[in-house]
Amino acid sequence: MHSHNDNHRDSYRDSNLDKVLLIGNPNVGKSALFGLLTGKYVTVSNYPGTTVEVTYGNAVLNKVRMLVIDTPGVNSLVPMSEDEKVTRDMLLSDRAGVVIQVADTKNLRRGLVITLQLAEMEVPFILDLNMDDEAKSRGIVIDQERLSQLIGIEVVKTVAIRRSGIDKLLKGMQRPRQSSLRVRYDEAIEAGMRDISALLPDAAIARRSLALMILAGDESLKTWLHAQVQDHVIAEIERIRQGVQAKFNNSLGFLINSQRLKKADEILAQVMSRHEGGNQTTIATYLSHWSMHPVYGLPILCAVLYIVYQFVGVLGAGYAVDFLEKTVFGQYLNPWSMKIVDLILPVPFLHELLVGEYGVITMALTYAIAIVLPIVGFFFIAFGVLEDSGYLPRLAVMVNKVFKIMGLNGKAVLPMVLGLGCATMATLTTRILETKKERILVTFLLALGVPCSAQLGVVLGMISGLSGIATVIWLVTVVFVMLLVGYAASKVIPGEPSDFVLELPPIRVPQFMNIIIKTLARVEWYLKEAVPLFILGTLILFVGHKIGAVDYIQRLASPLVVGFLGLPSKSAEAFVIGFLRRDYGAAGLFVMAKQGLLDPRQIVVSLVVITLFIPCIANVFMMVKERGMKTALYMVAFIFPFAFVIGGALNWFLRFFKIAL
Amino acid sequence: MADRKRLQSVAGQAGHPALCVLPEIEKEDELLETIWILREEGNLTWGQIIHRCKVDGCEDILKELSKNGWIGITGDIVELSEKGEPRARELVRRHRLSLRLFYDLFALDGAEAEACKFEHILSPEVTESVCTLLGHPPNAPDGKPIPRGACCALFKREMKPLVVPLADLVPGENGKIVFITPESHSRLDRLSAMGVVPGTIVRLHQKRPSYVIQINETTIAVDKDITREIFVKKI
Repeated sequence: MHSHNDNHRDSYRDSNLDKVLLIGNPNVGKSALFGLLTGKYVTVSNYPGTTVEVTYGNAVLNKVRMLVIDTPGVNSLVPMSEDEKVTRDMLLSDRAGVVIQVADTKNLRRGLVITLQLAEMEVPFILDLNMDDEAKSRGIVIDQERLSQLIGIEVVKTVAIRRSGIDKLLKGMQRPRQSSLRVRYDEAIEAGMRDISALLPDAAIARRSLALMILAGDESLKTWLHAQVQDHVIAEIERIRQGVQAKFNNSLGFLINSQRLKKADEILAQVMSRHEGGNQTTIATYLSHWSMHPVYGLPILCAVLYIVYQFVGVLGAGYAVDFLEKTVFGQYLNPWSMKIVDLILPVPFLHELLVGEYGVITMALTYAIAIVLPIVGFFFIAFGVLEDSGYLPRLAVMVNKVFKIMGLNGKAVLPMVLGLGCATMATLTTRILETKKERILVTFLLALGVPCSAQLGVVLGMISGLSGIATVIWLVTVVFVMLLVGYAASKVIPGEPSDFVLELPPIRVPQFMNIIIKTLARVEWYLKEAVPLFILGTLILFVGHKIGAVDYIQRLASPLVVGFLGLPSKSAEAFVIGFLRRDYGAAGLFVMAKQGLLDPRQIVVSLVVITLFIPCIANVFMMVKERGMKTALYMVAFIFPFAFVIGGALNWFLRFFKIAL
Repeated sequence: MADRKRLQSVAGQAGHPALCVLPEIEKEDELLETIWILREEGNLTWGQIIHRCKVDGCEDILKELSKNGWIGITGDIVELSEKGEPRARELVRRHRLSLRLFYDLFALDGAEAEACKFEHILSPEVTESVCTLLGHPPNAPDGKPIPRGACCALFKREMKPLVVPLADLVPGENGKIVFITPESHSRLDRLSAMGVVPGTIVRLHQKRPSYVIQINETTIAVDKDITREIFVKKI
């Protein structure tokens, strides 16, 4: 993914195409608009902060070939988070051809705060009032003519998901202007702005606005400044800033925003009208209320989980996998490839490599495409529905208290739930968390306890043959261990917890096409990033098997597995393989259970160990990439023995108390 | 109440107090306040007091205060005595509470003049009532700390405060934000970008399992301690 991003950055700089930059608050439909303009989405979502990278797409607009750029949502162009910084930097680094500010019509007040900042930057732009339908249903009407007059730029209205207003948008795009709108701040702040502006280098955006960002406490500008001016100038700027701040006891950022909001309210008073019948409580309002309710919220949560399980577990892991594995691969692809290989390259070694027991086609591809892909695909569909309906942040509200035990907050629910789909992708998503500590914690918990959907499918398959108590024991052990380790880790890892401030978009009916396109994009990512690593894992296994390393490790691990965990020695193979592919290990155990080689107690113990075990090789690579080699190694070094210890403890516990399963 | 001349009211701008023409005892009060403020700023010297003095006959009043044991003077250094400390403290407390009352609750700019008069007529009970009414605010509008009183320690709520932390509202109630006292700047900045500033009307949607507030058409889930720092007037 890293090289992917670099390529994009290069293509952006080198591109001679006119650029169109989409900017706006989170949740306003920027990504939907991007999809409309370019015909493709990448990760369209209304969960704030999900677009952690900038998204590029080509489009022919008004007969000109252009590069359309979707940015992460911002609440202010003085960045408070990674993705706000990304957006601000886009404006800073290059003069964009056309900037389209997308605003949520019913939340225009917040949008105007961005508009005022864009005006201060002296960037030519147009304003798109999106989601006009939702505003109208709440009785909110904006006089766009008057607004256009007041701000001095083109204002258009759209409903992106219904493609309405797009023609007006395209017309308006041809006439971006600089807005003459200015906010008058307190005299001390104005003076500070003048002094700092004089010291700043030229940039793609007005120096006045840069000075304001610095005054508001933007630390992230320092990197840009260091490249442009000498240290003593930076020191002088800092001195001026401190001088201005000393005159006030509220933070300058707050004062500046308050002033902007005041101006926004002035403008709003002249253009917004509220009509009667605007505050209808609809089904969506009730759903929104109940899904976060302290009493009703819980059964709703269980219901949602159950439906997701049925969809992914039964439909996906059951029917789809069966069909692909048994029919497509089992009856056709595998036998054919065996025949073809024997025909073209009748070398026994190649036969083994490609279509043998650990063959690339028979093992790696079969597993990746027939077993894992459908499960992951179905999961992404379900996840897309959770996102687009607006339920996901409400889920965060429900689980916030639990997450606080682990030093996190409800926002971490996004990567954690994604981890049930694919932990590798979830580790990438930890970027949306604000503090380094949270990112490390969630990466760690994902690797430790969250079973990915491929593994989960097999695990649940094995558990379904067991008694209810066994299931409960497995669940309770895993959850308890995660909470305990999370709690301990949060005490050990340095850093502060971040505030729980999470915007809740309205409950909406998800758009079918939107979900499909999102899912396809995620599946495409999965195929490109994860599958090669699976093949790599299989190759390593193959080599290991060939040189007898697998048998050797198995014999080595045998006493541990038999004595400590109380499992048959053959299961060591499953654990060894499980290191390279989590679901391989689970599947190996599944086969053994089917053959009657494991009794219920052994099944539970082995399941717990597998669930807690080191993540798959793709995940480890992602951990190294996102958190660094050292941190990743520490995590792996802890999880590996820890899983066995817990397994052993559980084994002892079950035997000692003679618990019947 | 002592006889007093008609107070001249010269409308002052924020931070520039009006010239109060006051009887003797109130001049003393003003000076003690000045001493307290200079001490907060770390600038407490004889020279500074004279420089900041807004009443006439400063030097004489200072000597009188020293004679009566309210302050101690050694060369250039001035200190509040054990007797003088609580008196100065109470004065500053009333002054800043009055500012809060006038600026935030009554939303009057240029209220320094009124606040200046007001503080001198507050009795201890009225001071406590005002403090309770305002919900025991920790800061004046300019951010300077308000010395705590007995009522704050007891968190008195007998007289129903008009201004309460958002956390104390009942779900479904609306409040107009009067002031915000954040723990850290970044918290405040982020909220302000989402529209949470004094003057905005906010609705408390629910408290459990998490606090959820609503500002116009934006719904936000927040931690409880954030809502404890937003003070609102119930509407």
